[in-house]
Amino acid sequence: MSNIRRVHIVEAVVWLSIVLIFYFFSFEFDQEIEIYKYGATGWPRSILILLFFVTLGNFLHIHKKGSGIQLGRVGISDEQEEISYDDFNSIKKLIAILISPLIFALSLKPVGFYSATPFFIAVIIFLLGEKRIKWIISITLFIYFLLILLFMVVLNAPLPQGNVSPFYDFSALMLTLNTNLHQSLNF
Amino acid sequence: MIENFILGSASLFGDSTTIAIFIFGVLGGMLFGAIPGVSMLTLAAILLPFTASLDPAQGVMLFAVIYCTGTYGGAITAILFNIPGAPENAPTAFDGYPMTRNGQSGKAVGAAVLCSAIGGLSSAIVMMAATEPLANWAISNIGPPEIFALVFFGLAVASSVGGRTIWKGWMSVLLGLIVATIGQDPVGGINRYNFGYSDLAAGIAFVPAILGFFAVSEIFVQAEKKAIGKYEAPKMSVKFPTILELWAQKIAVVRSIFVGFFCGILPGIGATLAAFMGYGEAVRWSKNKESFGKGNIEGVISSETANNAATGAAMIPLLALGLPGGALTAMMVAVFQMHDLEPGPMVFYNSPELIWIVFSAMFYANLSILFIGLIETKTILYLLKIPFQFLAPMILLLASIGSYIGRGLVLDVMVMFIAGVIGFLLRRSGYSIPGIVLGIILGKIGEQNFAQGMQMVHYDILEYLSRPICLLLIVAGFLTLLIGVYRALSYSMKS
Repeated sequence: MSNIRRVHIVEAVVWLSIVLIFYFFSFEFDQEIEIYKYGATGWPRSILILLFFVTLGNFLHIHKKGSGIQLGRVGISDEQEEISYDDFNSIKKLIAILISPLIFALSLKPVGFYSATPFFIAVIIFLLGEKRIKWIISITLFIYFLLILLFMVVLNAPLPQGNVSPFYDFSALMLTLNTNLHQSLNF
Repeated sequence: MIENFILGSASLFGDSTTIAIFIFGVLGGMLFGAIPGVSMLTLAAILLPFTASLDPAQGVMLFAVIYCTGTYGGAITAILFNIPGAPENAPTAFDGYPMTRNGQSGKAVGAAVLCSAIGGLSSAIVMMAATEPLANWAISNIGPPEIFALVFFGLAVASSVGGRTIWKGWMSVLLGLIVATIGQDPVGGINRYNFGYSDLAAGIAFVPAILGFFAVSEIFVQAEKKAIGKYEAPKMSVKFPTILELWAQKIAVVRSIFVGFFCGILPGIGATLAAFMGYGEAVRWSKNKESFGKGNIEGVISSETANNAATGAAMIPLLALGLPGGALTAMMVAVFQMHDLEPGPMVFYNSPELIWIVFSAMFYANLSILFIGLIETKTILYLLKIPFQFLAPMILLLASIGSYIGRGLVLDVMVMFIAGVIGFLLRRSGYSIPGIVLGIILGKIGEQNFAQGMQMVHYDILEYLSRPICLLLIVAGFLTLLIGVYRALSYSMKS
């Protein structure tokens, strides 16, 4: 009896799509290199062909033996637990946790690190289950000032400043304060 | 050698600025290695511009010290949070994190401290005694064909650990290899898979990908458990391993020193492959293979000894041949170039003082792992007491800063979070994250050396296999593969 479920078909389709997309795009750089017989496409196409056969092997393996953990494998204890969702709220919460860092990353260019960070910290703390407002605010401020102290004041690391007013102005103010502090401390 | 070592030590400790830089490097490497989300590479990237104002010896010494202590520091996050501080600490997490979950974090970290110091010190001593003869041996015996063969063997080993099945292990490695093809091809400089984004012409940056796959995906995994109410805080324990427990692992330590040193000495390979191979060999020779991945202290010991043993050895190709063995040693080349120096055989004749300050600093840095590491460890273990909802934003932000600082591109922060989401989904399906990362790291090196090797042997496979080291490593790689496939076909599955 086959052990294949819908999730395994989706998984195989995703992998085969990766193979097809990358193979298709390899024609964009299908150029000869005078000193090298296999050209720019030789290596990636060989990997894609291997990936194609290994994906088929994986699919057949699941068909015959299921998707459990093969005996004798090491380094996978953490992934053994089956995760199941009892309610839609948990799924919504997980999606929010997965998406908020991406929104934070997208906001870095226009808003900048100095303005976007406090909101990001507070949102993540809230999504991870902390409901006490006092704690959210105090931990947010603590983490924010700790990072500013370490990376801006001590290490002078360049961080994204944003390019939209008033966020850019706020970043400029922070940097001016830092420069003044360095000058007063004679760094 | 002893005379030079004493002279190097005198130069190191005879100047207060050099001492201050040494202490900064030791503490900075340990701290940045041990804070989840950032790594020694973050610190090195921040410090690189400042080294222009230092003496060449001070600049190179600072990076060498960070390399030693940072490699050890990365083991702490691997053990406590399942977030390897650097790719070379990835195999440490295989058994280190299960030990933390079993309430044995102190034992795992204690073993990592001791074995990192042993591995690093042995490597430093061999490095001081034999850099020149080893470099000569490497020049005459190791070329691109051998390096490609070693990459192949290393990838075969990596595919056999981490994934739910051998197939998933290989799919992970191949995914890493295909990601590594993004950017310019290493032979003709032709742009591949940039999908119209000019920033991708330089390829997927190494640090954001690692931070995404390791740190961000781990945060997502724990966040998922928190969302469905299955999260369990890791148990803290400050009980260190006993002398007897460590003595029982002496063979694993010696074996890993050899494996680490051999991998470290080869240009471009570095500590990452050393750790994987050290771990793989520990599994191969163990009578109790089933216990690996569930909290076997031998797994931590093998991986940590091997990666620190590679740090000293990695200085040999760097200093003797001018070839870096990894990201941090590549930054050291930049430090040399900032001071109008070129690492290579001439450095030994033109700047012997520099060489011996670096060598002695590495020796003392490894020694300090033992003393400062033990004190630091007791403090770091208390990180486990911080509630996850407060630790997670800190890690995500440190990782964001770590990935941004390398090239100053917001794209890298995006890449990191996307890698985090992909890593999270792949882990849920039983794929191997260390396998993907090793594929990304070794992909370009493998392709470049394959191309050069094929040109050297005029595309003749028989000529290629007539080189004894190539033959040995290729056969070992294929055997590892075939054994894996045989096991997949013949073994039953866990329910």
